Amino acid sequence: MRGKASKTLLHLVLGAGAVIMIVPFVWMIISSLKSHAEISAYPPVLWPTEWVWSNYPNAMSFAPFGTYFRNSLLIAVGHTVINLALATMAGYALARVPFRGRTVIFMAILATMMIPTYTKIVPQYLIAKGMPFFGGNDYLGRGGYGWLDSWWVLIIPGALTPFAIFMFRQFYLSLPTELEEAARIDGMGEFAIFGKVMTPLVKPAIATVALITFENSWNNFLWPLIVTTRDDLRVIQVGLAAFQQVEKTEWAYLMAGSTLATVPMIVLFLFTQRYFVQGFATAGIK
Amino acid sequence: MTVTSPPAAALHAPPGTAAPPPRRRRLGYERRRAAWLMLTPALIHLTWWIGVPVLATFVLAFTHYDVLAGTISWVGLDNFTEIFADETWNLSILHTVVYTFFTVPVAMAIAVVIAVLLNTKLRARAWYRAAFFLPHITATVAIALVWMWMFEPNVGLFNAVLSMAGLNGPAWLSDPDYAMAAVIVVSVWKGIGLKMLIYLAALQSIPPETYEAADLDGASAPRRFWSITLPLLKPATFFVFVVSMIDAFQVFDQVYVLTPDGGPANATTVMTFEIYKTAFSEFRISTACAQSLVLFAFLLVLTVISRRMTGKDDDAR
Repeated sequence: MRGKASKTLLHLVLGAGAVIMIVPFVWMIISSLKSHAEISAYPPVLWPTEWVWSNYPNAMSFAPFGTYFRNSLLIAVGHTVINLALATMAGYALARVPFRGRTVIFMAILATMMIPTYTKIVPQYLIAKGMPFFGGNDYLGRGGYGWLDSWWVLIIPGALTPFAIFMFRQFYLSLPTELEEAARIDGMGEFAIFGKVMTPLVKPAIATVALITFENSWNNFLWPLIVTTRDDLRVIQVGLAAFQQVEKTEWAYLMAGSTLATVPMIVLFLFTQRYFVQGFATAGIK
Repeated sequence: MTVTSPPAAALHAPPGTAAPPPRRRRLGYERRRAAWLMLTPALIHLTWWIGVPVLATFVLAFTHYDVLAGTISWVGLDNFTEIFADETWNLSILHTVVYTFFTVPVAMAIAVVIAVLLNTKLRARAWYRAAFFLPHITATVAIALVWMWMFEPNVGLFNAVLSMAGLNGPAWLSDPDYAMAAVIVVSVWKGIGLKMLIYLAALQSIPPETYEAADLDGASAPRRFWSITLPLLKPATFFVFVVSMIDAFQVFDQVYVLTPDGGPANATTVMTFEIYKTAFSEFRISTACAQSLVLFAFLLVLTVISRRMTGKDDDAR
């Protein structure tokens, strides 16, 4: 009896907390579907009398949210693919092949993991701007804009994360040596062992790293903010922020834009919770 | 490409040491070559986009670099004397500390309670966890806009709720007295999820038998929490604390969106915003690098302190 009462209490407390966490999302979606009259009404209309779906196409004609959305998607997919390719290889080499200098390299990668964004971002910008032969630059990287305002700068610098290398190393390290040895006796080369034997065994790590990379890339704001000025290269987060600064009072359209910027991640998260949780817990506790 | 000359060291191996059979040695060489080939792209990328920039920040902070003219000259500590003479910069340090001081402990306290409550056999447990974690995975910019809308002084949700309680809500984001508080509220809301998840993982490693003695003594739930759970969570707490501090010191997105241009009367300008402004709208590159080194020093000290405090716990994991 006592157990049942405490369970109910538990559900009440957690339920109340969960509602507080969810309210902003619900309010965002409701607001994005309100008419002009209802969104500026006081007191606020909790449940719209008419659902204005045309806010979405209208918002998209105010600002090219479609383009922003596509840009974000392309960049996030690009980052994920490149990160998986480079980090699995590096993680495998660090975990499974003994060679001189391996520990030093691994320590160096751990160190890069701890570097805060702001300790590197200013020179990163200068490197992008001074990229030789691009954007009107000469061979010394002078005279033009380099990689600024290009797909290169949006995709390449953020395409590899030391965290991914670290994750893959840990996973490859946990695999047994028997498989590898059997494959070697069969005459398989190192690349074949990596690609055909070992990597299929770290699928959970691949899912986790892919999701976290995609999420970080989709939500990234600072880097695209500083390296792009062209509207057609803006990602959705930067586009949203810019739209807000121009159209300060178009709340329904702003909420429509915010919905477009958050719902893909929410849906992805709800379907792949397991991998996300695993990844963040591993990243957290090491 | 595949000329397999044995490594020099093997050739000069002193007599008597049994050299491995040739096939194995060649195999070892080929494996190492493959490993280096697999590592090289990653190493080039990390060197180019992290190694070089970090070194450059340290060098640039002690120079005067003129982006437009392309000239660079050594100025010693001038940049640092310059930034500490700047009142806005000093204010931004204060704001960063205030922001961290309130955001981190509050979010941690809520997170640990939620984690303990969730660490029971419960229906819909995964759904609760998802709800608390959702703010962490959604974009800060988009979600900050939603909060901005809720903080709207005239028709926003907050002031409507407050007026139902007979209170007159402030103008939140445009009121210097409330702007920082509003930013902190958003950050606490967003920060609970990750901390909760780390606590949950730590809680799951506590064996249930730990509580048996307490159960026999009939200890109440709060008592068990204070006397058993919380002490056992100490390593996790330190870890969450450090990660959150480092994160909080680098807060940018929500500040940039909620309170543009440093907020009303510079009420919410933080270190990262000053660095952003100095580097990318004023293009005073060297000054910005000096500022980022100050931020780096803060983070370094925090990390070192935490290492000292956690000590061996950290290596054991």
